[in-house]
Amino acid sequence: MTTRASSEGHPALSDQDWGFATVDQKPEIYNPQPSRMFYVYLAMPAVLLLAAITIYPFLWLIYMSFHKVGFGNASDVFVGVKNFARLFNDSKYLQGWGLLLKYSAICLSIQVVAGVSLAVILNNSRHEKILVTLFLMPMMVSPVVAGLLFYYLYNGTFGWYHWIFQSLGILDETSILGSADTALYGIILVDVWQWTPLITLITLAGLKRVPQDQLEANMVDGAGSISNFFHVSLPNIYPFLLIAVLLRFMDNFRFIDAILALTGGGPGNATRLLPVYLFDVSFKFFKLGRGGAIALTLLIVTIILGMILVKVLEDPARKKALSGDTDG
Amino acid sequence: MFYVPKNAVYKTVSRRKFLELGGGGVASLGLGSLVVGLSTVISRRPVQAQSSLDAKWKQYEGSKLVFMSENTPPSFAIRDKIQEFYKLTGIEIEIITDGLPSVQQKVGIDLQSGNADFPISYVQDKPIGSPFADFYADLTSLIGDETLPQDPEGYGDGVWFENFLDACGRFYDRDRLIALPYDAAVACTFFRQDIYEQNTKDFEAEYGYRMEFNENSTWKNVYDFAEFLKRKRDAGADVPYGYAQHQGSFAWTTQLDVQRMFFAHGRWLDWEIDDKLGSKSPPPSNWGDEQSVFLMQKFKEQADVCHPDNLANGTLELNTVYQSGNIAMQVQYHEFAASIEDEKTSKAAGGRTAYAPCPKGEASWILNGGPAVNGTNCGVGGIGINGNASEDVQRAAYLFCVYATSGAIQFDVLTGLGGTPTRKSVMDMPGVADARKRPSSMPNALTFDAVYDIGIKDPNFVLGPKVPEANEYHTIMAAETQRCLSEEISAEEACNNIKSQIDNLH
Amino acid sequence: MASRELISYDKGVAVKVLKWASPIFLTFYLVWSLLPLFIMLVASLKDLLDAFSVPKPGDWAGVTIFFDFSPTLTHYVALFTENGFGTYLFNSLVASIGSAVIAVTFGSMCAYSLSRSEFRGKKDLLFWIISTRMAPIVAVIVPLYAIFRSVDLVGTLPGLILAFTTFNLPFAIWMLKGFFDGVPYAIEEAAQVDGQNRFQAFVTILPLVAPGIGAFVILCILFAWNDFLFATIIGSGGAKTLPAATKELVQPQNIDWGKIMAAGIVTTAPMIPLGLLVRRYLVAGLTMGAVKE
Repeated sequence: MTTRASSEGHPALSDQDWGFATVDQKPEIYNPQPSRMFYVYLAMPAVLLLAAITIYPFLWLIYMSFHKVGFGNASDVFVGVKNFARLFNDSKYLQGWGLLLKYSAICLSIQVVAGVSLAVILNNSRHEKILVTLFLMPMMVSPVVAGLLFYYLYNGTFGWYHWIFQSLGILDETSILGSADTALYGIILVDVWQWTPLITLITLAGLKRVPQDQLEANMVDGAGSISNFFHVSLPNIYPFLLIAVLLRFMDNFRFIDAILALTGGGPGNATRLLPVYLFDVSFKFFKLGRGGAIALTLLIVTIILGMILVKVLEDPARKKALSGDTDG
Repeated sequence: MFYVPKNAVYKTVSRRKFLELGGGGVASLGLGSLVVGLSTVISRRPVQAQSSLDAKWKQYEGSKLVFMSENTPPSFAIRDKIQEFYKLTGIEIEIITDGLPSVQQKVGIDLQSGNADFPISYVQDKPIGSPFADFYADLTSLIGDETLPQDPEGYGDGVWFENFLDACGRFYDRDRLIALPYDAAVACTFFRQDIYEQNTKDFEAEYGYRMEFNENSTWKNVYDFAEFLKRKRDAGADVPYGYAQHQGSFAWTTQLDVQRMFFAHGRWLDWEIDDKLGSKSPPPSNWGDEQSVFLMQKFKEQADVCHPDNLANGTLELNTVYQSGNIAMQVQYHEFAASIEDEKTSKAAGGRTAYAPCPKGEASWILNGGPAVNGTNCGVGGIGINGNASEDVQRAAYLFCVYATSGAIQFDVLTGLGGTPTRKSVMDMPGVADARKRPSSMPNALTFDAVYDIGIKDPNFVLGPKVPEANEYHTIMAAETQRCLSEEISAEEACNNIKSQIDNLH
Repeated sequence: MASRELISYDKGVAVKVLKWASPIFLTFYLVWSLLPLFIMLVASLKDLLDAFSVPKPGDWAGVTIFFDFSPTLTHYVALFTENGFGTYLFNSLVASIGSAVIAVTFGSMCAYSLSRSEFRGKKDLLFWIISTRMAPIVAVIVPLYAIFRSVDLVGTLPGLILAFTTFNLPFAIWMLKGFFDGVPYAIEEAAQVDGQNRFQAFVTILPLVAPGIGAFVILCILFAWNDFLFATIIGSGGAKTLPAATKELVQPQNIDWGKIMAAGIVTTAPMIPLGLLVRRYLVAGLTMGAVKE
């Protein structure tokens, strides 16, 4: 895959079709005037559809977050910022953020270390193709199925993973989800299982683009391959990793399917990450006002993260690395 | 969605057109169908009080109703009866089943937003009844309606088991009835007679009394048994653990687990409110009082001698632990007896298990001066009708309520899938009395002595707390109790945390 | 493959250790990665009692009881005869394919337009499009439910298709825009010189991006197929999909693990070959086009 197109000096479609993310080349003859409406018509269905299903919910979310939402005949009562103010006295809200960060930090550290190691090994392996194919499989599993599968594996009575943990002396008879100290690791393992391959794939893509001349230059200086990895490869794959980390972090805001299947937030509040708590407040307690406030804070952070992501994507230096130009 | 019944008048018009033509015109014809809400179709033929019973049953022939239910055996059982109901009434019932949280969400949204997508729904007493009671139709007027077929037994408190009608049907207002009891899960004690017999000698030598369990056994005895077996096990003996709590991820059953023990001691309640009716504006709670802190400590001590996977064992997982022979006793809902007595999956089957009421309060643990009782609680599932639905939909739905809660159906479910009857008359049906003794063809009946003769009767039975924010209350209580059990906080802190959080709820 | 040759020049101790450790790590990871799926497959073929038997802790030799069973397809048969998984499979297929086709059709039109035109606020528009895809589902699902309810789409396949489109459409627009950016404008120009109108010119370049479009249809199918929250809240009822139906097998009185494992296999099995089919586009798809292979 590495030597595809570019090494053949054939920069046509097969390689250029990957110029993602930003416009890096303008059509040479560019004349929007005569056909402006054409573009508008073409874009219209999608934009309207998106607007309908995003703007209205967003406005409603804002509305809800400033109201005590009444149901049936009861009307909504404007409560100002009370829903927001309450969040700061709500230990579960603050703890939810803490857990979300802790969960993401641990997940991502493990994934990056394991994923990058794996990629480096695979990059030097003759069986790269078949191995990557095998490693990919967990990513195709529906998160809720993954959650249920691990719930089965972790079961203290008949779960094989529990048996393995117990046999290795890692756990006693208390299963991994049965203790507030370990439950978080129980859900982390599922995420690690599913998504480490993504980091591996991304790193592999990055490694293929590490400029040959840089590696050679480093070798000439007498450095070994380990030094090569840290001084040449790692800086080169860093932008890839950064994007992967940001995206995975944002996905942790989005996907709670596996956690809902595994613990529902317990024991105690040990796995009640903020999105799980939001799910409780909105869907179990029907506190739509408070839920709206939580959702809005979560959304704002998502948007900020999204902006950072786009910044990273558009940073010229990174863009060059990402787009695979090896001429530098 | 755009279901058109066979005898619909307006077969070919589009749905929009159909709605525009409106109920008025159609109703004036006295015969016709109307699509109301999602998937629901109503088609009506007026009847009088003097009409034949058959005509009353068939007055909504050609209608279609949606029943939103929990994914429990009784729902599956009623699914098998749908054809029979169709023959009787000509009404098609679409049953949608889902897990309790999803049912809660969907029914909650439907009821609160003024819709009637689900004209009939399963009213699990606290999780669904408490928050949404006001949105359900009042059944009392339908019960008295002579143009509707009625159950010959009637629907008075006396025809159901004690407290059942209150449990799922009455919330905050004695004059309103929102659901008829359909199934019941009542807690009772399951214990391994064989293991108790094997160990009673050693136990008696140490503790001075026999290792036996009956209706007078207390929570202190449960602790002793568990402590004894755990010690023996830790010393290498091949014995199971003595007990395990319901402290898994499902908040409601966790709350019920704590409540049983607390209520047993002086009938301690979360709030000083009418336990049977509940309250929309409860006073400050009793959490944090001397009794609650003391019992929370005892609860924690008990957890320490339990099966170590205590915090992962939800009700079902706990039952699996018991089935696999890893614990010698559980306080479990009586509908699980069928699974315990299943030789294929259970090591506790074949007469090894005996059933008794829930443990009694220990006199020396009662600090508030109340009586010691066999604190027992339940989940009684009723069938209720959406109050947003039109009168005709409500009446058609009522036909289903009457049918589904009749004694005959309950008997069929009991003999078939192992249901849990709510009508007393089922006890007198053929074979039921015999099934209460081994060998039993209806294993759930083995628990009936403990459950129906003792557990559900006053003063043992606790129904509440019925408060509108029941679900958040359950979650708070479960979380703080679990934190206490995992030694994150002390018993006193747990009680105070519960108090400060739930006092803010209403 | 430059780095492979390079590493072989090395004679350092650390490298030797790495060489020795690499296969071990690889083997371990392979087992870790595939074991759950393997156990799921085997458990789906076991009857209940076999699925519940594990050896005593520490009894490594006892592992053989994992294989000690007579395979049965009863769970699979039961899923389709008793639990209506045929319908759910159908729903999953229709909803995921439907939403993928809609997302990619409208998405490619919009993406093309965004790729070829320049206007003020374009960056903001693009950011808005991509942010709709990143929004936490839990945060927006209550208002979405209300909207869907008000147009009678809850519990219907069209509703579910639309719900899946909420995340597939921004994905398709964003990805395909990158794709169109890579197609030289000269091709359309030539077409127009030949007398084609703008739309015909747009159609002319479609074959050039066809592989990409095909891949993104498949990725959209994958995302929709695996979705759970939309499927339970918007879809369930009349349009229950496989993941929602699988979760529902967890019942308060009974968790039929054999059936759940079989349902897991039924849900997962079609997606693995699909994922591998678009293997080349997978990384790009999962990184919103930021990383290409």
